Formats: sequence, structure tokens, C-alpha cells
Amino acid sequence: MPYPMQLGFQDATSPIMEELMYFHDHTLMIVFLISSLVLYVLILMLTTKLTHTSTMDAQEVETIWTILPAIILVLIALPSLRILYMMDEIFNPYLTVKAMGHQWYWSYEYTDYEDLSFDSYMVPTQDLNPGQLRLLEVDNRVVLPMELPIRMLISSEDVLHAWTVPSLGLKADAVPGRLNQATLTSTRPGVYFGQCSEICGSNHSFMPIVLEMSTLKYFENWSHMMQ
Amino acid sequence: MSAPVLAKPQLRGLLAKRLRFHIIAAFILSLGCANLYKFGVAEPRKKAYQDFYKKYDAVKDFQEMYQAGVFQYENK
Repeated sequence: MPYPMQLGFQDATSPIMEELMYFHDHTLMIVFLISSLVLYVLILMLTTKLTHTSTMDAQEVETIWTILPAIILVLIALPSLRILYMMDEIFNPYLTVKAMGHQWYWSYEYTDYEDLSFDSYMVPTQDLNPGQLRLLEVDNRVVLPMELPIRMLISSEDVLHAWTVPSLGLKADAVPGRLNQATLTSTRPGVYFGQCSEICGSNHSFMPIVLEMSTLKYFENWSHMMQ
Repeated sequence: MSAPVLAKPQLRGLLAKRLRFHIIAAFILSLGCANLYKFGVAEPRKKAYQDFYKKYDAVKDFQEMYQAGVFQYENK
């Protein structure tokens, strides 16, 4: 979950999110490299009275500052594509869950074994218990087994929404008439929060997502209880 | 009586000399910034995740969270 004065990402809860974090570090390092170089050169140019008034061409430096950025871009593209393909690897899910976006709540369907479906509305601020998180808590959480690959099929019953869980590195648009697939694998148990990420009307900010990653036994007991 | 003659000062190539020195300094500085980030932030982060998962017991963690009342339902 997000915390006050946060600067970076939430702690990674899936291998893909870890890879994304490392990739972000790599790219930010390149950003600092270029920005510090440009800042230094800027200050250099502003702090001299020396001039060169007869410059006609500069073939060598032009070659360097064409080739070097091209190399930098390749160094960014290769790890990026590696992660992109990693996200799409064949993964044999243990479970498939459908997340349907509505105005303004999510509904979930677990239809692999039995027929289980429920709605997940945000808990209004005035109904929160002490210790609960404002604008993030829901009445029915999405309980899932940890350490197992799960297929999420995301769609919408009305307008565009987006199903997001930042600590798992997941975001997929919920498009009416379309199924978008996301793979979910959590390495740790716990409660993970997300919020709708596509503007969908007046209560767009008030339809959060809460995942409870638990042991398989807890998940099975919960799904029997929810029937 | 002749006054002492000063040596002729460097009149040419001043900008080139400045640029040569500072371009090298700029590259060293920017590579230094990048390495500072890499070894100050990126590598410690990778190590932190590796160390965390070396001895991590997810089931034990779940039991502790369950006892603390983190989850919604009373069941096991």
C-alpha cells in the first residue's frame, strides 16, 4: 500500500514487479547520467567570455553525439523488451478469475470449480473502523492463493475502467466487449491495494481493488464460505 | 636602461583548452553520478530483495498476519 512521503514504488510482491523495479533503476541511472552531463555543459557555456566566431563544421562531435545516444537507446530497449516478453510467457495458471468493472465498483467471478461471484464496493469513509485505510478498503476483498500463477481476465460492463495492483506490477484496461488477460503471481501473503486507473465518471476515485493473498487452505475455506 | 620584458601570454586556443579540460571533467562527473546511483541505490536494492527471500517462509508469515487480524475472515 502507499505510505506518506513515498518517493519510489511500493515493495514488489511479484517477480515481474521486481524486474520492473530493477529496470527503472537502470533507466533512471541513465537519466541522471545525461542530465548531469547537460547541466555541467550548460553551466560551462554560461560561465565564460571566450568565443569561437569562425566555426564552420564539426563533423567529429556530430558523429559522437549521434552514435552515443543511439547506443544509450539500445541499452534501454534491450532490458525493456526482455521484461515485456517475460510478462507474456506461457504460465499454466492454477486459477482463472474474472474482474468486471462497473460504475462504480468491481465484481469478481470465480467460475473454475463452482459458481462464485460477488461485488466489491469501497467502504465509505464514515463507515471505516479504526486502523482502516480511507478510500482503499472494500467490503468484499479478492482472496487468492499465494505463490501460484493466476489468470486475471479483466473486462467491463459499461465504460472503460482499469484494474490495477501496483505492488504486483499489474495494470490492465477494462474495456467493454473485450477480455484483457493479466498474470498474477504473489511471492508473499498479505493485503494489496489498487485503485481504478481509467477515468470512468464521478466516482472513479472511489472504486478500489483489494487483494488478500493467503495459503491455499484459507482460500479454499473462504470460497466455500462465500458460496 | 631597458625595462624587463614580460613573457608573451598565451593568446590563442584558450577556448579549446578550456573545452578539452571541461568535457573530460563533464564525462567523469556524469559517469560518477551514474555509478553513485548504481552502487548507492540499485545494487543495494537488488541485494535487499535477495537477502529477504533467502530465508523467507511465506506460510509462517501468513500465520503471523492471520494472528494479527490482517485478513477479513476467521478461517484457516
